Amino acid sequence: MASAHSRMRCGEFRTNYRQDTTIFPTPLARRVAVVSVLLLMLVPMFGSAYQLNLLIQIGYYGIAALGLNIVVGFTGQISLGHAAFFGLGAFSSAWINSTTGIPVFFCIPLAGLMTMAVGLLVGIPAGRIKGLYLAIATLASQYILEDFFARADWFTGGSAGAMANPFSLFGYQMNSDRSYFYVVLFYVVIMYLAGTNLLRTRDGRAFVAVRDHYLSAEIMGINLNKYRILSFGISSLYAGIGGALFGHYLGFVSAEGFTIMLSIQFLAMVIIGGLGSVMGSMLGTVFMVLLPEVMEFGVHLVGSNNSALTQALAYIKEMAIGLAIILFLIFEPDGLSHRWKMIKNYWKLYPFSY
Amino acid sequence: MRKSLFWLTVVLALSALSTTATAADSIPVGHLACYTGPTSDVGVPYGNGVADAMNYINSNGGVNGKQLEYETVDYSYKAPQAIATYKRWVSDLKPVAIQGWGTADTEALVQFIAKDKIPYYSASYSGHLTDPTGKSPRTKAPAPYNFFYGPSYSDTCRGLVQWAAEDWKSKGGNGAPKFIHMGANHPYPNAPKEACAAYAEELGFEVLNPIVYDLKPGDAKAQCLTLKDSGANYAYMGNTAGSNISLLNSCGTVGAKPQFLANVWGWDENSIKAAQESGDGVAVPLGAPSWKDSAPGMATVRAISKMSDPSGETYRNLHYMRGVCAVFFMKDAMEVADKQGGITGPNIKNAMEQMKEHVPAGLEGVCKASTWTSEDHRGTTEISVYTTSYNGGDFKFNPQSTVNVPRRDDWLGW
Repeated sequence: MASAHSRMRCGEFRTNYRQDTTIFPTPLARRVAVVSVLLLMLVPMFGSAYQLNLLIQIGYYGIAALGLNIVVGFTGQISLGHAAFFGLGAFSSAWINSTTGIPVFFCIPLAGLMTMAVGLLVGIPAGRIKGLYLAIATLASQYILEDFFARADWFTGGSAGAMANPFSLFGYQMNSDRSYFYVVLFYVVIMYLAGTNLLRTRDGRAFVAVRDHYLSAEIMGINLNKYRILSFGISSLYAGIGGALFGHYLGFVSAEGFTIMLSIQFLAMVIIGGLGSVMGSMLGTVFMVLLPEVMEFGVHLVGSNNSALTQALAYIKEMAIGLAIILFLIFEPDGLSHRWKMIKNYWKLYPFSY
Repeated sequence: MRKSLFWLTVVLALSALSTTATAADSIPVGHLACYTGPTSDVGVPYGNGVADAMNYINSNGGVNGKQLEYETVDYSYKAPQAIATYKRWVSDLKPVAIQGWGTADTEALVQFIAKDKIPYYSASYSGHLTDPTGKSPRTKAPAPYNFFYGPSYSDTCRGLVQWAAEDWKSKGGNGAPKFIHMGANHPYPNAPKEACAAYAEELGFEVLNPIVYDLKPGDAKAQCLTLKDSGANYAYMGNTAGSNISLLNSCGTVGAKPQFLANVWGWDENSIKAAQESGDGVAVPLGAPSWKDSAPGMATVRAISKMSDPSGETYRNLHYMRGVCAVFFMKDAMEVADKQGGITGPNIKNAMEQMKEHVPAGLEGVCKASTWTSEDHRGTTEISVYTTSYNGGDFKFNPQSTVNVPRRDDWLGW
């Protein structure tokens, strides 16, 4: 986001820090964002269930991906256990709702807090270790939680999974895609604004300082332990809320959905979207959710009668994800958000760019 | 950017919609298959059986002249994926019946299909799906719209245990035989775990602690050593064929040789070939005649097989026949429903529950006579126990006994 400020339009001047750290880089960006949200609110009126389903998926995965970006992209730590926190959020929300009877409306943020508590606990090693060692420590938490999900009958229903009640508001059940879309959109807006805002705060700047040079950060008086653990906590909060939204959308939560594969997909989302970019988290999620759909569409287009191709679809989808990650690492390591900025700049200076 | 995302989805979805135009006078049916994933070893032949049978019905007059319009989705044995597919179907395909697959997903869908009134023919024979009213105290949730063709996993295991008790006596065993349950920590192997152990205890077995081994084939020597140390005489294998082959090979290596009992998905012609001598003597409940059998209904099955294999040379294993049977019970119920007010979910359910000792026409000797009532969805409780021998590659199924497991009330839904 910072680089967007350095490429502002002609005629925009900033004379103090306050103007330099607005949530949206320019008034135009703010207006575009507001109009986009308003337009998205119209989608349920004419969108099909398929489109809404994809948008809802993008919503809950996007929230979780932003959480991972906070820990990986902004604080420079690594986490291979994000899917487990996503799952913990889903199970927590279903569990709180079914054992205490608290409405789902409150269960989602509560599940977020519960996941955050566990995340702070699991983040403790991050205060001490870094790099590959941290990767292995978070991998361990992924497996511990996964195994816990498969065995804790009282909490998750064990290997059979748990039912999650639909979201309801004032007695009105929002269990159709049409109505649930608004719930997800609400959370996306809130969580993304909060995420952007976080980076304007003292804590957010501390995260970036820890990432850029931990020794300098410590010398400046930043408590490394505190901020590394805090960033894991905040990241888990996002994962928990995303997971809870996922659980109540599907209506069923099962341990097998939150494997290391999903953790890697989350990593792929933030790498493809752009490490250290709030909007990149969303772009990466959009890319990762739509890629399999595009593959499926392509396969049906080329050979709906070719049974070998249709049967290989599952493999094609998986391979496309792997290929996309490799291609991005080679050709666009800064991710989609960087590419998007380049496109904007190109048109900003068109036709006189050099 | 969100705007461009939106237009992208619009374009994608419109193009997807244009390919699923519905023909008039057709019957939408969902087909959830497992062509990839941990149970694909048996999911592929079963899924082929289901697809071929539906194509055969369509090219032979349909259901009272109406064509089955089915959509196959490979969900890779992931329950969340199955639920997502189901939710999509409810809004676009609007199926009146679904041919499904695994236990995890079928049990997760029980409440959804009951609410939407869509009969669901699973390839999961979990005992939890047999109580439509929820009157049994063992039942966690009533499963009014669930059907499956064959004896439940629990009843199958009970039948095997009953056979094992006789086998122990006839071989002159001393003391209480030891029984052990083996399987992954997954709803499918877990389904008969407690029910079967309870019956084994009733029959005088000593029941040992269960052993967990993975659904994905892999080395299982550690589990086999545990099995050997436990001194089990009868070991029930709860996983599918691929996983069991690797288990038996591992156990052959470490010398653990109890009498293995396989579940209905746990042993077939391919596994006999693959496990060779390590698999000699596995006791298995045969759910269908084998491909070379001369049962009268096999002529129809061979005609069905030609839908995807015009040469007629492909060998189809046991699971294929069971897929065919599942579709033909559905078809017969649809025909009755059509005459009783139209092919809708509730009418199909009613028609299913009127079936008494029913065998689909043309499949005599292939599908077992099955009875469903509005209070009991245990289609059949007859278990035909066979043992298999590798026989140097020319494998044999040796009939042992046919066990009629009693339809006890306290076993409903368990």
